[in-house]
Amino acid sequence: MTFRAKLFWIFTLTVFLSIGLVAAGVTVVTRRAFDELNREHSDALVAQFQREFERRGQDVLRRVQGIADAEGTVRMAIDLSRPQADVSVYVNDAHGVSQSHQLDFLDFVGSDGSIISSAEWPARFGYKMDWVMKPEYSSAHGPFLTRMDTDAGPVLALMAVATVPVGDKNLYVVGGERLGKEFLASLVLPAGMRALLYLNLDSTFQPANVLDAVGPAIEAERFAPLIDKEREQPGEQTARINWTIDPASAEVFHALPLPGRHDELLGVLLVGNSQLQVVLLERHIRDLALIVAAIALFIGALLSWWGAARITRPVRKLAEGAREVAAGNWNTRVDVRGGGEIGQLGRSFNQMTEQLIQQRERLIQAERVAAWREVARRLAHELKNPLFPLQTTVENMQRAKDKNPELFDEVFRESTRILLTEIENLKTITGRFSDFAKMPQPELAAVQLNDTVRDVVKLFEGQFSAVGRPPITPELHLDESLPVIQADAALLHRAVENLVLNAMDAMPAGGVLMLRTSRKDAAVHLEVSDTGAGLTPEETERVFTPYYTTKQHGTGLGLAIVQSVVSDHGGRISVESESGVGTSFHIELPLQPPHHLQVFPMVFEKPEED
Amino acid sequence: MEIQAIVISLDPAVADASPQEAAAKAEVDALIYPTRNADGSFAGTPGSGAFRVDSFDPGKRLVLAANNAAPGGRPFVDSIEILMGRAAQDRLVDLELGKTDFAEIPCEESRKAGAAGVRLSVSQPDELLALVFLAARPAAQDAHVREALADSIDRAAIVNFILQKTGEPAGGLLPQWAGGTAFLFSTAADPAAAKELWLQIPGSPRLVLGYDSGDPLQQSVAERIVVNAREAGMSWTAQALNATAGAQASADVDARLMRLRMNSESARGALAGFLQAISPVASIDASALADSAGAETVYNREREIVASFQVIPLVHLPQVYGLSAQVRDWKAPGPGESWPLADVWLEESAP
Repeated sequence: MTFRAKLFWIFTLTVFLSIGLVAAGVTVVTRRAFDELNREHSDALVAQFQREFERRGQDVLRRVQGIADAEGTVRMAIDLSRPQADVSVYVNDAHGVSQSHQLDFLDFVGSDGSIISSAEWPARFGYKMDWVMKPEYSSAHGPFLTRMDTDAGPVLALMAVATVPVGDKNLYVVGGERLGKEFLASLVLPAGMRALLYLNLDSTFQPANVLDAVGPAIEAERFAPLIDKEREQPGEQTARINWTIDPASAEVFHALPLPGRHDELLGVLLVGNSQLQVVLLERHIRDLALIVAAIALFIGALLSWWGAARITRPVRKLAEGAREVAAGNWNTRVDVRGGGEIGQLGRSFNQMTEQLIQQRERLIQAERVAAWREVARRLAHELKNPLFPLQTTVENMQRAKDKNPELFDEVFRESTRILLTEIENLKTITGRFSDFAKMPQPELAAVQLNDTVRDVVKLFEGQFSAVGRPPITPELHLDESLPVIQADAALLHRAVENLVLNAMDAMPAGGVLMLRTSRKDAAVHLEVSDTGAGLTPEETERVFTPYYTTKQHGTGLGLAIVQSVVSDHGGRISVESESGVGTSFHIELPLQPPHHLQVFPMVFEKPEED
Repeated sequence: MEIQAIVISLDPAVADASPQEAAAKAEVDALIYPTRNADGSFAGTPGSGAFRVDSFDPGKRLVLAANNAAPGGRPFVDSIEILMGRAAQDRLVDLELGKTDFAEIPCEESRKAGAAGVRLSVSQPDELLALVFLAARPAAQDAHVREALADSIDRAAIVNFILQKTGEPAGGLLPQWAGGTAFLFSTAADPAAAKELWLQIPGSPRLVLGYDSGDPLQQSVAERIVVNAREAGMSWTAQALNATAGAQASADVDARLMRLRMNSESARGALAGFLQAISPVASIDASALADSAGAETVYNREREIVASFQVIPLVHLPQVYGLSAQVRDWKAPGPGESWPLADVWLEESAP
């Protein structure tokens, strides 16, 4: 991934992350605000319910007390206080009175707790309703919520009890209103809110007992967990109900217990807050965030492209400069402006290349000096050997002439023979140096490496089995499918010849000379191995150094020439050796040498200190 | 000579098909037909009886004019104006205001009517209000269910509170004055026994008691019976039945209330009439009572029926009539008899 791409993604992710965090933060804050608002609405509705509950309770109490204070009721009480009073006369009175006072429930109860007349359940006359006689239900304690039995089953009612005392006997007037959908319908609800009532009249949750303002609530069974929780632990409870898979359909319900006179749970007020608005707002925020993100992404792409281009331009120049330096163009300079890190880096780069050039110049100078020294040392070493016999021979001749003139002729003949021999050696030495100095540029032509190998082996066949020396067995493993390569046949022949000569020198006790050719991708491979004594690691490192030799009479130029030829063909040469096993040279030559064969300056080893 | 016209207020419109309508129509027929057969049907030409139809506004008003050539002699009044479709409360008001001379008054309203100064004529208790288990329902097959309900019913409360002490608790089918054996049948409630019996019934069935939707008395009594049953632990509910259904009940009703009017003063005839009315719906054999059956046979048959709890007698009701102060020579009709309107006359009121 390029620096520009990285910069783009970093920028984009940063923008996304920032917008995401802002959107999430706004959503959280919004949700909290809505929760708080819903809580306030719920509290307000609960307060409204309690006020309405209290108001209605007081209204019920007032009406019941009004009935108790009415003349007809007082007359009834007086009549019933008499011995052998006929209560049947009043059996139907409650109905009419309840209608005139708009009460859902009205019972006249005698001093023994028996129902004299019942509006809500006329047929229940004569049966007991003696709980009204308990002091805690008297009007002094105000209205109360209780469970009332009717012919249609139990219901929840807001009741009040008024007493009409006559002597030692009381007539109880019990009246009230049913707590149900009518009560809920009277509540003024804010938008998005609704109130429901659960009538806790059965031992288990009954969906039919969940009422809203129009009747039994739809899907009331969904309230079962909340109601069960409220029944187990009466108190303010909250639950969220998702009516559909759409979160906008959800409602948060606050449950408020409605206790009776003895704190028994008689009902549960359910205040529901629609989550529609908050969900819609959250969706709006999300959509807005996505739009902003998209715009930011677009702007970010442009900015990152521009910024990356601005930032990476000097870096790219530096990279190109580094590639130029790596390719050998040490004169490369980068044009980096500015005073930042990149500018400092560019200036350091230019400084580095200047120093490299200077060091290279110094190194070349030093290497030249070293090379000349090495040449001088070699020349001195090579010339010193023949010069010493020349000197002694001439001195012998002088001594013979001065001291043994009779032997001079004989000495002269012997000395001249020696002199000629040594002069021939000197010529040979100078010839070799001359050859190395005259390494020509390769002239490329189609060459079959196998043919070259065979020619060289054939050239040395006589020497492999020469009389007086241990035999060397050549083994050829030539890949017949080897393609021709573009190479200088003469130079290649010379290189192979040097390798074979080197191998033969490495096997004074005889052995096996193995030559193997093979194809490797777009190159051919030649391996020349011997079974000689092998090289030490130090020798292996220096084996291609000109004038380095491990042989007594070698010039140290053979393998250097081989390396020079291989390099001129764009190839590579390597050596591997194991002491006591032998040495293998590996040459890899491309099928087609590079177009611009470069002749690298010969690098001379720094002469060893004598 | 001033024309004397008697005004009658009737509850149902004649066009109705209810039992009350049938009874009202029978009373009108008795006035316009000359003779009545033993089976209760009327014979002869309409209008050849004591009265003839003078004008008829269906559902509202019927005017009968005196027939001068009536077989038994011309009636005393010149005409009878019958106002139809008057509810009980309206009839009472009509009587109190002097707008009508004659009206039937429900038993449960008789006390109030008397207290309001209405002149009342009360017959012998000749109508039985009974609870009949329907043969087609499983509840009728279980004697424990029937007996438990019978034990739970407080008849005295029905008479004292609902009927306002008009009528008598009925332990047997026949009233005391007719059979003389009514005192042998217990009318006391026994909720404890009812509770015990109900516990022996497997499955605690939910049962339905039907009543005539057009009869407020039946509704009140049915609701009271349901309360009695619930207090004894039973699960009964009351359900109104269409008045035109007659003796037939809806499919889910296990028992129903029935009014059984005596059509004979004799115990045997009255019991036979009851059985005739009950047998279509209950598991009662109506033909088992011979014409020559004596009082003992009648009692045994009555006892057998009551002991089976297929029919639970509740109360015996009298017929209550409200009369204006001008009506003279009115005599409450006996079982099987029609209103003797041809024999009454109106005293002229003071100007």
